[in-house]
Amino acid sequence: MQLKMFVLSGAALTLWLAPLTALDKKVGWHKSMQGLSLGAAVACAVSAGNIARKLAEESEIDELKTRAIKADVVDEIGVSVYVSQQQRQQEAELILASPGLDVEENRKALEAIYSNDLQDTASASEHPDYPIYLEVCKSREAGKSPTWIVENILKMGGRKFSEGKAKLQDLLNQFEGEDND
Amino acid sequence: MKAMYLVNYFVAGCIASSLLGWIASLHPMSFRAIAFLTAAAFIAWGLCWLLDFSVSGWLKIPVANLQAFLLAGLAMAIIGAGVFLCS
Repeated sequence: MQLKMFVLSGAALTLWLAPLTALDKKVGWHKSMQGLSLGAAVACAVSAGNIARKLAEESEIDELKTRAIKADVVDEIGVSVYVSQQQRQQEAELILASPGLDVEENRKALEAIYSNDLQDTASASEHPDYPIYLEVCKSREAGKSPTWIVENILKMGGRKFSEGKAKLQDLLNQFEGEDND
Repeated sequence: MKAMYLVNYFVAGCIASSLLGWIASLHPMSFRAIAFLTAAAFIAWGLCWLLDFSVSGWLKIPVANLQAFLLAGLAMAIIGAGVFLCS
């Protein structure tokens, strides 16, 4: 379409200027040739103009479509952000309003909600052995012996006692080491 | 692309002006007819400049567009006739 328009524009200019300048005036048919070429040149220029106008309108519509799609995407993102924020707020309010849970658990639940998207790597509190470690800490604060901890918290009494003792040491090394870091 | 379409219509106007010149060169009567047409068009052009706000309201186009159209018309007539006369 564009090629056609450029060819028509070029033809219009050529048909306009060539017979006026190049034709010899002594030739008998130069007047009729000029008239014919000028008429054809007008037709070519008008056709080229119509094609160019059509193309301009199409490109304008495409631009409008692109703008509409962009605006739609931005709107969608805005709505999803708003909804997620509202959802988080509601979850936080529910957790804070629910009875029977202590403050530490509430804090952990809220932390889990707000740090879920931000944290890529697993922290110490998300480790599967972390609750056992917390139990061990509580028992140690209560003055329980390592033997009691191995038998009652790790449930590794009898033949598994030495294995349990090693596991207890591992737990303490793992989480206390991270706390020191 | 919008510039291309305006340029094409402008060139069409110039060629039309040359065509009128060519018609005027055919016969003394056609010359008179074209001279009368040109004089009438020139009077209308001047009136459009004087009554630009009324004419733009009547044609339902902005005044700036009407003025641009009038200037382009004058330029087309001058270029087209000039090319024909100088050839």
